[in-house]
Amino acid sequence: MKRKLIAAIGVAAMTATVAACGSGDDGGSGGSSDSITVWLMDGSAPEPWVEELSAAFEAEHDVEVNVEIQQWDGIQDRVITALSEDGTVDVLEIGNTHTVGYANTGGLADLADFADEPWNAPMLESTRVDDTLYAVPWYGANRVVIYDKGIWEEAGAEVPTTRDEWITALETIQENTDAEPIYLPGQSYYVMGGFVADAGGTFAVEEGDGWAGSLATPEGQAGMEFYAELQAFSNAPTDIDEAEPQQSTDVVPNGNVASWIGLGWEAAGAIAAIEEQGGEADFGYFPVPGETADQLGHVFLGGSNLAVSGRAGNSELANEWLRMATSQEWAQKFVDANNGGVVPNRTDVTASPEPGSFAEAMVASADVGYLPPLTTGWANVETLPNPIKELMTQALNGDDYQSAAEEADAEITERINRE
Amino acid sequence: MTVHIEEAPAPPPPVRGAGGQDGDRRPPRRRVPSGLVPYLLLAPAVIAILAVLGYALARNVLISFQEFGRKQLISRTTEWTGIENYRAVLENERFWDSVFRTFVFMAVNVVLIMVLGTLLGLLLNALGKKMRLVLAISLVAAWAMPVIATTTVFRWLFDTQFGVANWLMRTLGFEGYDQHNWFGSGFSTLAIVTVLIVWTSVPFVAINLYAGLTTVSGEIWEAARMDGASAARIFWSILLPIMRPFFMITTFLEIIWVFKAFAQIYAMNGGGPNRESETLPVMAYVEGMGQNQYGMAAAISVLTLVILLVAMSFYFRLILKQEKENS
Repeated sequence: MKRKLIAAIGVAAMTATVAACGSGDDGGSGGSSDSITVWLMDGSAPEPWVEELSAAFEAEHDVEVNVEIQQWDGIQDRVITALSEDGTVDVLEIGNTHTVGYANTGGLADLADFADEPWNAPMLESTRVDDTLYAVPWYGANRVVIYDKGIWEEAGAEVPTTRDEWITALETIQENTDAEPIYLPGQSYYVMGGFVADAGGTFAVEEGDGWAGSLATPEGQAGMEFYAELQAFSNAPTDIDEAEPQQSTDVVPNGNVASWIGLGWEAAGAIAAIEEQGGEADFGYFPVPGETADQLGHVFLGGSNLAVSGRAGNSELANEWLRMATSQEWAQKFVDANNGGVVPNRTDVTASPEPGSFAEAMVASADVGYLPPLTTGWANVETLPNPIKELMTQALNGDDYQSAAEEADAEITERINRE
Repeated sequence: MTVHIEEAPAPPPPVRGAGGQDGDRRPPRRRVPSGLVPYLLLAPAVIAILAVLGYALARNVLISFQEFGRKQLISRTTEWTGIENYRAVLENERFWDSVFRTFVFMAVNVVLIMVLGTLLGLLLNALGKKMRLVLAISLVAAWAMPVIATTTVFRWLFDTQFGVANWLMRTLGFEGYDQHNWFGSGFSTLAIVTVLIVWTSVPFVAINLYAGLTTVSGEIWEAARMDGASAARIFWSILLPIMRPFFMITTFLEIIWVFKAFAQIYAMNGGGPNRESETLPVMAYVEGMGQNQYGMAAAISVLTLVILLVAMSFYFRLILKQEKENS
């Protein structure tokens, strides 16, 4: 009967496997002296600009530039892994709401040499910790409402300048066409944050030494209520966000969406996808309306910064690349390559959007942008499961807002004060 | 993982003293090699386990006593905090919710798996050749399906907008299944995971039981029937005692497998909505990999291990007791 004992030991061994929960490490390709690795995010840089820049840099320094395009989904894990390894990546693009958090971990190189360039002042806010520069601004972007001109014309809806007109337009579309008046998934929390900001609220406020979630407030509730009013016009489920399925390429091209709220690269992606199907996109753009005609709605000031890894294999070359990519010449080329669809990172770069373009609508509301709290802990709040998203789903499904928001606030407070 | 099933009744022990008369004959079993050889043969397996599992386990225990987040990971610092992580976990209401949920989930799954698996095993034994083959193939197919593939298919089956489940409910005439969200609550999510896990685990039990049953001598069945025993009586009074070791080992293997089920639950809904379908392994993952609190996650997984070991100690005792009786 020794075999039973062996079986028992086997069981014990398998019990032990429960506790072993590991993570895979990706091999890096940077680190050698004749090449540098640059991580850019999906949808950030137009390909021709990247190719031209790489060619110019390679010609000047006789090194190879490996530009690797990263997906936003799961990016935090990959950046953390990359920053903890030697020579994985030299230069990397980091979302503006996450930069301070990474700077605080000590994983980003000090970029004091770049401090004197004429950076766009509001953007600079997200790149510094205690006056030390850990990243440089690259571009800014914010969302606008993208609408299908054909459907709006057919319905007889007019481009709104206030919230009330917006709702009226959506009602008109619902009555007169069989299109979905607006595609708005339940968890697009940066859109909701704009409505909260319209009411004078924010995701979190400073309280004593730390921060505290502030969604269980009349302002938070007002923002969520307007979001719910819009969301009622959409067939989208309440428990998904705009990225999965990707609204621009997976939802909008498949048809009958009269309008949606998106970024410049999303609009471009949707147009490309529609053309690939043999159709023709006829998009118009307008800024998110505010409560009155003289004030536009608040929009999240998205954007990215460029940073150098503290463990870059070749930090000298990394700095050189960064200097070139963000120089006046190449920053201007970047803005031009985006057809003016981004907010420039430097004051000596100008964007001249064409009339009727995405960029025109975007630049209009850039002044009424809002940012989430730029604290080291904000990135913790945005990790999944994101308490703001959970709150939105609960509210849209008819749960009591106040109690759900208090729960979300508690979670935000716990996470935002963690380093 | 292979399992030894000792379904056959033990052969009658050789009569003592009888061997002495045939002293010159070859012994019935070859002699076990002595000296270093057995240890050398065991070494690769032991070394592999120590290197892969032992190291990870030891490291995991160490991390559980550290403040270990992305800051420590990136700056490569070590901050010992003693039992701070354990205190935080044990004071966390969410942890106890997870413990309760894990045990209920495990109990429901194991009972369903064992009952359905036993019934299907008996059915396999009772079927004719052709139908047995058909059933065996469909069981093996379910058993062989990759976890993420089956989970993805289940996700689609229960999709809110285009799922077959909603269509079926509508077709059957139920109200309110136009856009029913099957993943709208933790209970409903775990119920779907239960269907998935039971479906993929039943074949293991059924096929092993069938394999065991084939070694039960036909005479025993016949004798029981002659005495007028009903099918239920045959099962409870004859099969169950003969197959007792099989049922014990299988039940406990299933307990462990369900207890540590991670991929199915995580891939189904990420532990959501609102963390309502988190079992202990999923919670450890969400806290650790999702939120970069590696120290906290390590503490959760060590506690999970301790809980499982305590639960399993019952089994060890049972086995040791039997060992004593048999020696």
